[in-house]
Amino acid sequence: MTAEIDIRNVSKRFGSLTVLEDLSLKIPAHEFVVFLGPSGCGKSTLLRMIAGLESIDIGEIFINGEPIGHLPPGQRGVAMVFQSYALYPHMTVRQNMAFGLQNISVSSKVIAERVANAARMLEIGHLLDRKPGQLSGGQRQRVAIGRAVVKEPNAFLFDEPLSNLDAALRARTRVELAQLHQRLKSTMIFVTHDQMEAMTLADRIVVMNNKKIEQIGSPMDIYDRPATRFVAGFVGTPQMNFLNVTALATEPSGVRVECGALAVVAPFDAAAVGRATMLGIRAESVSVVRDGEGDIGATIDVLERLGDRSLVHARLADGQSVVANEAGQTRLKVGERIGLRFAGDKAHLFDADGVAFHVREAVS
Amino acid sequence: MSSNRRRTGPNGSDWRNALFIAPYLFFFLTLLVFPLFWGIWLSFHKADTFSSGAFVGFNNYVRLFNDHVFLQSIWNTFYFVFLTVPALAIIGLTLALALNSSSRLATVLRSLYFSSSVLSVTIVTLIWRIVFVPQFGLLSTIYGWFGAEAPAVLADPDLAMIGIALTTIWWCIGLPMMLFLAALQQIPGDIYEAAALDNAGWWRTLISITLPSIRRTFVLVLIIQIVLQFQLFGQSWLLTRGGPNNLTKPIVLYIYDIAFRRWDVGLGAAASEVLFALILVAAMTQYLISRRQEER
Amino acid sequence: MSDVSPSPALRRGLGDHIILAAVLVLSVAMVAPVLWVIGLSLKDNAELMANPNSVFHPPYIIDNYIAIIGTSAVFRWIVNSLIVSVGLTFGTLVLASLAGYGFARLEFPGRQVLFVIVLFGLAVPEQAVLVARHQIFSILQFHNTYQGIILPGLSNAFGVFLMTQYFRAIPKELDEAALLDNASRFKIFWKVLLPLTLPAQATLGIFTFLGSWNDYFWPLISATRKEMYTLTVGMASVQSNFAQSEGVGFLMAQAVFAGLPIFIVYLFFQKYIVTAVSGAAVR
Repeated sequence: MTAEIDIRNVSKRFGSLTVLEDLSLKIPAHEFVVFLGPSGCGKSTLLRMIAGLESIDIGEIFINGEPIGHLPPGQRGVAMVFQSYALYPHMTVRQNMAFGLQNISVSSKVIAERVANAARMLEIGHLLDRKPGQLSGGQRQRVAIGRAVVKEPNAFLFDEPLSNLDAALRARTRVELAQLHQRLKSTMIFVTHDQMEAMTLADRIVVMNNKKIEQIGSPMDIYDRPATRFVAGFVGTPQMNFLNVTALATEPSGVRVECGALAVVAPFDAAAVGRATMLGIRAESVSVVRDGEGDIGATIDVLERLGDRSLVHARLADGQSVVANEAGQTRLKVGERIGLRFAGDKAHLFDADGVAFHVREAVS
Repeated sequence: MSSNRRRTGPNGSDWRNALFIAPYLFFFLTLLVFPLFWGIWLSFHKADTFSSGAFVGFNNYVRLFNDHVFLQSIWNTFYFVFLTVPALAIIGLTLALALNSSSRLATVLRSLYFSSSVLSVTIVTLIWRIVFVPQFGLLSTIYGWFGAEAPAVLADPDLAMIGIALTTIWWCIGLPMMLFLAALQQIPGDIYEAAALDNAGWWRTLISITLPSIRRTFVLVLIIQIVLQFQLFGQSWLLTRGGPNNLTKPIVLYIYDIAFRRWDVGLGAAASEVLFALILVAAMTQYLISRRQEER
Repeated sequence: MSDVSPSPALRRGLGDHIILAAVLVLSVAMVAPVLWVIGLSLKDNAELMANPNSVFHPPYIIDNYIAIIGTSAVFRWIVNSLIVSVGLTFGTLVLASLAGYGFARLEFPGRQVLFVIVLFGLAVPEQAVLVARHQIFSILQFHNTYQGIILPGLSNAFGVFLMTQYFRAIPKELDEAALLDNASRFKIFWKVLLPLTLPAQATLGIFTFLGSWNDYFWPLISATRKEMYTLTVGMASVQSNFAQSEGVGFLMAQAVFAGLPIFIVYLFFQKYIVTAVSGAAVR
């Protein structure tokens, strides 16, 4: 009831438009994988190719070692939950869930059993005789998941299934999906453009951009050691600060990076010297100190109070903007002069092609 | 969408998919496309009911345009279209403006005005014949109240076509009204709220908001009605038989006479091609004029 | 016609009242001819001949209607009309649904071109093909048969156009969900999409039925034997007896009787007909 999915050198074109370029990816059984990326990056197309809804132009996809490119969607042993849910409007919830099983001639006794089980698990037992039109958005979404669950598929495919829910419901459903995965232990592939969903749900995240995979890794890996400038900027809120590098030099204690008046010294990968053009650092690694202290002086442009913390948008003397983290109860005011302290060992360097250089991990 | 070189995906192009449209296509080709070209072929032949005889070139067309009855029928048809189409559009619009409300009265009147449209031409002409007929006709009864004598509308050379036009307007008014009502319902309500805030009065709202918003529908109504009324047949045939003196004989009735009563099939086919061309030209002209105006 | 677009308070002005009054007056002209016919149908012929104004006062009799039952061919014609209209409506729904699904959802070589050609078919008036069609049916000996009256209507492109538009409006995800549910092409059409097109089926069905019931020209030239007349043709044939042997009252009673079925249909399906007409208009 679970599948290892192996995507080998897959490309996809619509006419003259290339959507996926020579893409390979191995998803081990039981894993919860999230395809994360901006719209148009090809993540949904890749999902639909696994499902069989798009043909594979070049390359092949294997499920449990078997090539599936020639199989129709229904025979690949996968189930999909659509963004719009795609429930059959004229069928009751029960009929919606049973339809796929009837089509492969499962006995009605087994169907009834599986529907009952899934309904109990998803708490939609009282809705079974209603039609989709009579359900709320959250209920429809559960039915859509239920319709996938009864098929006991090798893999679940989710195509942005949470994007039509309101914020509170989305958070709750996220937790429930995680629980569902723990219970069923099936392979799950989840497509989203929301990094929060990716971070909370995934065993592994596949960050995609512009027809290609940018990085594959665990959520914290992606967050702490982004492989490219795109990943660094796409994952994390607020967006990572980027400053132009003006000078690089090797020192005994590490690499000295200068961005105008700012200088940061940290044990960066020495390969960065001579190549890095951009310094990146997250807001939580920049702290606000009194004017005259810290690594550089700045003026507060905007103060965003989020309650548990505040984001300080500060402008440096050379005009570049930096966002720093500050306590929720801060007394700072807009226009005030402050100092900023950079935690250099949390910074990243990127070369002109966007490739990242990190601080060397402490040898233990 | 998909260009499947290697495999047939779900969106794959497959000639077997055409089986879904094959049944319709069979009837479309045999009963519409083939007769269309067969008709053109016939119009160049001296044909009867069962066969096309000798090729006669443009002879049928020459005969047609030398037949003063045919020329009269073209004139009659244009006269009829001129009498009915503007009236249908204007009355239909007026009705729609008056009845665009959810009140009980408006609902009842809407069904009333549309109800005549569901009757067949036979019933409609029967009803109106009894209106126009002398002696116990409705018209002569009303004239009788004032001590006057009603004209014999359908026998009067000047009035017969007007009588047919009146009958047609009574019969066909439902469709334009419905089209205009549908268009009026499409106008977003907040435009009217904005106009009210801009101090636009009833007349100004009508002229500068309502009418411009339904301009496309107006053109649509005109085109539909021109095409429909060009095909006038039943009312003339049943009310006047085309008389008096062929003055109410439209092109379609001429075709019917020639092809199905005199069995001069080739000439009838030629006449129907002329009608086809006229309808196309009229509809296209109307369409192009409206397009030009919209672009300005 | 559900809600009015603007809030009524905003735009009910004097102008509206004047127009409404005019429309009310005009509605008398809509109703009067029909009432007149009904009035005549309830009068004795001899009494009418003596004094046309007798319509305005009793006695009213139903003898003319009773006479229909024994003597008139109207019943036969109604049955013919029913066979023709139901047959054509059923056929049109089947053909248009299949073709609409095909054009909207399936890929096959030449699809675009075919659809454009079918759209051109919408612009061909019946008269342009009538003469040739009649000759073809003569050769096939289809005249004076039910199929002879029904078949030409099956070539009408309107239904295909309407159904194609409707199928296109159904989200594609439903097809995809069904594909993943192992449903075959035909099953997706039959079980998933077709039930969703019921409103369009109703619209098309009503249009086709009304159009076929009221069609005059083709049945007139194809059904030349009295027992194959449709109601429309049959009623036209008795009009020539007007004011002669059978009498005005009897003729009017037949007219009312002949108009009754379609009028009852209208009253029953009024809501659907109205939404059908305006729905098709918006398209």
